[in-house]
Amino acid sequence: MNEKPPLLKLEAIRKHFGAIEALKGIDMEINSGEVVALLGDNGAGKSTLVKIVSGDLRPTAGRIVMEGEEHDFASPAEAKAAGIETVYQDLSLCTNADVVANFFMGREITKRFLGIPILQEREMEAVVAQAMADAGTQIPSLRTNVEYLSGGQRQAIELNRFVHWGGKLVLLDEPFAALGVEQTRRGLETVRQVASRGIGVVVITHIMAQAFQVADRIIVIRHGVVAGNVRPEETTSDQVIDMITGGSLSGAGKGRG
Amino acid sequence: MTPARRATIEFLLDNLVWLMLIVVLIVFSLAVPRFFQFGIFANIVEQSTFVGVMAIGLAIVIISGNLDLSVESTAALSAMVTGLLFATQGIGLGLTLEPSWLMLPVSLLLAMIVGAIIGFINGFFVVRVGMAAFIVTLASFIWVRGLVVAVSGGRSAQSLAPSIRIIGTADILGIPLLAWISIGFFVLFSVLMAKTPFGRYVTLVGGNREATYRAGIDSDRILWASFIIAGLLAGVAGWLLAIRTSGATANLGAGMLFNAFAAVVIGGISLKGGIGKLPGVYAGVLLLYSIHTAINLMGLPAHYTQMILGGLVLAAVLLDTLKLRLRERLL
Repeated sequence: MNEKPPLLKLEAIRKHFGAIEALKGIDMEINSGEVVALLGDNGAGKSTLVKIVSGDLRPTAGRIVMEGEEHDFASPAEAKAAGIETVYQDLSLCTNADVVANFFMGREITKRFLGIPILQEREMEAVVAQAMADAGTQIPSLRTNVEYLSGGQRQAIELNRFVHWGGKLVLLDEPFAALGVEQTRRGLETVRQVASRGIGVVVITHIMAQAFQVADRIIVIRHGVVAGNVRPEETTSDQVIDMITGGSLSGAGKGRG
Repeated sequence: MTPARRATIEFLLDNLVWLMLIVVLIVFSLAVPRFFQFGIFANIVEQSTFVGVMAIGLAIVIISGNLDLSVESTAALSAMVTGLLFATQGIGLGLTLEPSWLMLPVSLLLAMIVGAIIGFINGFFVVRVGMAAFIVTLASFIWVRGLVVAVSGGRSAQSLAPSIRIIGTADILGIPLLAWISIGFFVLFSVLMAKTPFGRYVTLVGGNREATYRAGIDSDRILWASFIIAGLLAGVAGWLLAIRTSGATANLGAGMLFNAFAAVVIGGISLKGGIGKLPGVYAGVLLLYSIHTAINLMGLPAHYTQMILGGLVLAAVLLDTLKLRLRERLL
């Protein structure tokens, strides 16, 4: 059979921090155009996994295969070059710079004069204005330093940034943590839109409803291993909670069981 | 508040130091006898050159989130190398080149290389080894000055070759060449910082290094380059100082570090990194030397200058804090 290799394939990814084993052999696949929700309790290893795929951390062992090609990312720059975009939980914005500078961080539009690259501010501002308008994000001035913007506005910049730059695979680490109800709804819509462009999306969340709402597949991580890999229509949130907690909590809480 | 009005206030806050400079110049012109003369203003700009060129490099390092205490000693070393090689008296070796105009670029190049080497060493320990910039550059401040004393044996070199000295004596349109040089350096580096990706990255790295790393910017290279630029510019400052004094002494430039720091802080560069613009630093240097000049003209003893400058630095930092609060309330 001549089947297309998955967009991203993780094989037996392990990560030690000294004596602590954060990941004990993760295997998973993500396909193009697919939204995967990564669920897990605090400390289950979700963020570590994202950092490995995004090139921020190097795995102790295991293989990262992207479109059939093995990669060993030494830095986020290399992962980015391979087409992986990441939105981190603790936002990656420089608050001392304006919206445009943050949006284009590391990919500025320049024109050479006498061999010296000169920033094309007006061109960049136009691109950002368009991207913000497309996403329905309202920011008073794109020349405002990010430090004067609200948490929701900051997160919107990050989200619009990945939508604009796209790549092949997008990792979102708790992307909606600081967003209001309406903004979250729009954010989830954005995720679907991005996926419909054939980009693979991994959303880390611990809000069950969001996972069921947006994901094509739910992968649960528990104690550094994959504890479940299910399609939302084939499961219930109680079953997923069982996977996350190891069955200890499914009967707990008001109005359950 | 309307966007236009906010923009106006932003602009004023960003350029407060220029406003202060203008006010101070007007006050001095009215209050200090013989201050309001073309010659005095030209002299202020000329005097600002040495600390000014040095302050550019210092400001870039501080914007990138680090600190460089070694610039003064680096300037002294470059001055001593220039004096040692091209001065004819004292410990000067009286090196001559044919044709003689060649001595000018060669001595400048040597001074820049000496400075860049010190900057490279600082960068190595801070960026590669991961030591605190404060300690690394404090050590450089001490050992580089020690090196100056060692190579000179504590003696001085005098009488620089006339073909080099021309830099310190020539003028264009009645304004000393030295003044043009400092203006030129500020224009050049202001453009570098405001209009090129390198300048943008220096600011971003100073704001949030982790974010720039994640965005794929080689933050180590930016930080290292900042140290090298600071060393290089300190080298140029030392070269200019040697030309101005027609030689070099072992303690040449002592005290420049404070002035450079004062100019940087008054110019609106935050020591936290990531904040500030180079034109402001130039205004800071000019403000500093306007005050120096006024005190000289009034015939006050020199120690008053120190008291006033110390107070000014304190006021500048205070102003910075106030500006921040004001901005928070406005936006």
